[in-house]
Amino acid sequence: MKKILTFIGILSFVVLFAQTAANLTEFKENIAEQKAEAKSKLKAYRYDGSKITYFNFKTYKQVKEVEIYLFNETDYRFSFNGKSLPNDITVAIYDKDKSAEDRVLLKEFTNIIGDNIVVESSELNDSYLVQKNEKVRLKRVYVDYIIPETAGAQNKEPTMKERGAVVLVMGYKN
Amino acid sequence: MTKFAIPILGITLGLLLPGCNGNDSGDKGELNIVDTTQTSDEASINFESPDEDYHLPSPLQIASIFKKSGLQYNSAATNPTEVAANYTDELELLLNFGVYSADMAYCVMNNQPNEGRKYLKVITELAAKIGMEAVFENADLIDRFNANIENSDSLEILMVDIHERSEKYLDENDMEHQSSVHFSGAWIEGMYLGVYDFENNNSNDGIGTKIAEQMAILHNIIKGLKDPRNDGMEIEWLITDLSEIENTFNNFDSVKNYYENDMPGEINLIESEYNKLGSLIKALRTKITNG
Repeated sequence: MKKILTFIGILSFVVLFAQTAANLTEFKENIAEQKAEAKSKLKAYRYDGSKITYFNFKTYKQVKEVEIYLFNETDYRFSFNGKSLPNDITVAIYDKDKSAEDRVLLKEFTNIIGDNIVVESSELNDSYLVQKNEKVRLKRVYVDYIIPETAGAQNKEPTMKERGAVVLVMGYKN
Repeated sequence: MTKFAIPILGITLGLLLPGCNGNDSGDKGELNIVDTTQTSDEASINFESPDEDYHLPSPLQIASIFKKSGLQYNSAATNPTEVAANYTDELELLLNFGVYSADMAYCVMNNQPNEGRKYLKVITELAAKIGMEAVFENADLIDRFNANIENSDSLEILMVDIHERSEKYLDENDMEHQSSVHFSGAWIEGMYLGVYDFENNNSNDGIGTKIAEQMAILHNIIKGLKDPRNDGMEIEWLITDLSEIENTFNNFDSVKNYYENDMPGEINLIESEYNKLGSLIKALRTKITNG
């Protein structure tokens, strides 16, 4: 009897993990498709690279930050794909990192879930000019992904329903 | 196989193997199964990006920036392809993979396709030695290069394609930490080509500010090299040399004045500062390319 129970237990684990493996493989395949979609939105901008930010929704708010360099005399386009998000998040773009109390919010948007949103460096420079009244080109920006708290989330053993990612593809104009 | 699939396969095998031996392992075997599962499961599903991350520009973008500032091509500036055979250990191979990538970008951006083709060939050979041959396999890259040799725009797209394939390969094989090693080789070579032009092209006033501008990314290059997964490669000397370049630059009066007074525009170093920065870059480039 004990051997049968052990066998059933092992079989359950194998089935569970085969399912998890399939889910994770599908998740990664989706990411690849979303990256291709985000890249297609760069249009005339030359692809420079991508940054995929992975996270799990938890019972508390989280912020994941990505620093991006902007070089002088170069225009950039950022393509954000949120089609691997189970819940919506907020994307906020600042001139300084999250430790700076005097940082300027250049752009903020929500409703990225299931969508692909494009931002250009020119609008970020314009936003900085309006708010600081200084005509300077930004040398870097910080993209903050603000992941809201999710009631009932499994913080220690998250499920696929709590798993999310944002695909960010960057391009520059030659 | 992806970095997610590998641990899952491990979990499954970890479960099946004790299961096969279950007849003679008794209760102890059952306990081990549960522990292994929970640990590996968390490692795969819980994978999360760091709270603070960054994106570094591609070698092609750096070459494009220097080109736009008036940099002129000089065939004597690049690392000769003939010395590639001298690179044998992992760190030499990874660093010079980056060096040659920057050289190829320099050639392509400056309409030197025949030189660029030589660098593509050597990059392909180095990739095979560092376990990245899949990036170049079945890609017919040399054929595509030859077919587009008169079209610099198509060659740039080919370089973007190689960059994207490398990025994907490193991501899928949990090798992103190595990209900071490639990148430091590419970055130092790009800076060296800028310094070379600064010293040899009197008509170019713009390159100096571009060299200073590129210094902004050094901090994150060093951060990437310090990834514990790079520990086995003995890269302390590289981190030390790059840190010396960063500290020297940050302590220049022109740089301190720029940041302390929140000055607009670009950082303009004085001649002695350029000379000091240039000598450090050249010394490190020599160390990397000499192997």
